[in-house]
Amino acid sequence: MTFKPMLKFLLRRFVFLLVTYIVATTIVFILPRIIPGNPLAQMLSNLSRVAQANPEAIRAAEKTLMEEFGVDKPILVQYGQFILKALKGDLGTSISYYPRKVIDLIVPVIPWTLVLLLPATLVAWILGNTLGAMAAYRRNTWIDKGVLTAALIVSQIPYYWLGMIFIFLFGVKLGWLPVQGAYSQGTIPSFSWEFFVDALKHYIMPFASIVLSAMGGWAIGMRVMVINELGSDYALFSEYLGMKDKRIFKYAFRNSLLPQITGLALNLGTVLGGSLITEIVFNYPGTGYLLFKALTTLDYPMIQGIFVILIASVYLANFLVDFLYAWIDPRIRLGQEE
Amino acid sequence: MFSLMIRPLFKNKKFIIGISIFIFFLLLGILGPVFYKVDPTEMTWDYEQPPSSEHPLGTDTYGRDVLAQLFHGIRSSLYIGFLAAIISSIIGTIVGSFSAVKKGITDDILMAITNIVLTTPSMLIAILIASYLKVRSMEAVAVILGLFQWPWYARAIRAQLMSVTSREYVYLSIMAGYSDTKLVIEDLLPTIATYAFMSFVLFINGGIMGEAGLSLIGLGPTQGISLGLMLQWAVLLEAVRRGLWWWFVPPGIAIVAITASLMIISTTMDEVFNPKLREE
Repeated sequence: MTFKPMLKFLLRRFVFLLVTYIVATTIVFILPRIIPGNPLAQMLSNLSRVAQANPEAIRAAEKTLMEEFGVDKPILVQYGQFILKALKGDLGTSISYYPRKVIDLIVPVIPWTLVLLLPATLVAWILGNTLGAMAAYRRNTWIDKGVLTAALIVSQIPYYWLGMIFIFLFGVKLGWLPVQGAYSQGTIPSFSWEFFVDALKHYIMPFASIVLSAMGGWAIGMRVMVINELGSDYALFSEYLGMKDKRIFKYAFRNSLLPQITGLALNLGTVLGGSLITEIVFNYPGTGYLLFKALTTLDYPMIQGIFVILIASVYLANFLVDFLYAWIDPRIRLGQEE
Repeated sequence: MFSLMIRPLFKNKKFIIGISIFIFFLLLGILGPVFYKVDPTEMTWDYEQPPSSEHPLGTDTYGRDVLAQLFHGIRSSLYIGFLAAIISSIIGTIVGSFSAVKKGITDDILMAITNIVLTTPSMLIAILIASYLKVRSMEAVAVILGLFQWPWYARAIRAQLMSVTSREYVYLSIMAGYSDTKLVIEDLLPTIATYAFMSFVLFINGGIMGEAGLSLIGLGPTQGISLGLMLQWAVLLEAVRRGLWWWFVPPGIAIVAITASLMIISTTMDEVFNPKLREE
């Protein structure tokens, strides 16, 4: 077995994602400069509102911002500076938390988002695909119909609305689980058992709302995929050969997983968007909540910074999925097909 | 020919259920505000009242009638959904068919753009653009959402057209001296018509969901009432944690019912027109 074709595939994907990332950051850079109404002026007027009547502080902040945006320089120089700084991890200074750096504000919230998003997405993907495949295997039985109907409805429930319903039912009405945050107010995150239990209690509802509503879509997709596979020539041929149903199903299942992995990559953005909003509903201290605060105070350096990082992580995740795909799909691994 | 396409759909129970739910909500949106003449923006002292005969779905913190808001919200959300779907469908069809027909460098460039937009999280870009717009009309929100959800459709249209143009009946039509327009109308369009319609339906979903998401993050339409805005107000004013269920449950149900009915319509169409999925 040779790894050359796989490397070629991965290299190609990497270059593509890099180009895409450059395009995306360019959009992040250009937008505030082409949208009418001069966001910079807006930013400064906001600053005076946030920084509360300390003329010296405002002036200092103004100077920092002017320098950071480099408005007096030609646009290409500004662009070059923006990219260079972003590569160095310098995303500018926050307005609402002046004089703190954007990157210092974003880094602490990222783990919270990852801890929620990654397990929830994976669990939803696994459960959804299993259910969908089961439904396809028992085609036209009540299991199939039940799974399909439930999946159709559940897949259309926005994560955050399901979150609201959960908060209302299990938090407010039944009082089983805490209604907001990622841990109780007053406790300090630490690696103690008490904190872990407390965080876990806060974790259940946001996690469950994402898993449950994300599952439906995967189940629907998987069901169609497996049914298609079961109707394809190789499945029919195996059937005529007298192969056991279970065995044919196993082949169909494995072949159907591949497009679902691609689907995972394509859906990352949607999943991320949905979970960011779920964080807002739960007052969960992740990236979504920070973004929400930045948006309400029109803290543009922070908004830009969050986007540069979020988009980069989506592409990175995409690349990881590509890697997984290349590793699983023998056609790419062995280079039989582009 | 048209009735030949439509007839099997109406023999399908699921399709009938889906389309009935959708038409029901469409009518609520269109006729609701006409018959239920309560001003959804009128503030009264009856604030945060649970459902009663006077306010069938209660009132919010400002004493505004929730049912009136719901009717207007359904109307705006559907409007935004349709508008976004029209925009996405037009862009997707143009990009997809140009790629398939022109081939070569045009194809390469268009597909590169399509792939870039496809990989870029559309919701994030929508949030970013909306954050720079101080005033956001319903139309602006629809445009922002419509601009980024077309890539998968463009790719599918391209793939379908490419496979169709290499089929024999198309060659025959060309040999028979069909003009380009006649070729497109008689041979190419019918093959992508059902797919285009199914995608249009899903684009409406994308628009409605996208509007709700944008609104919740605080970037929805700056004027009017939509289902997303209702949810946003409920979240901002802590309706959930204070147990005011009549405020945040109805708009959510409306969103889920509309989008699920459209989903059912789209999947049953797939079942009816895709021989492998057809129930024997």
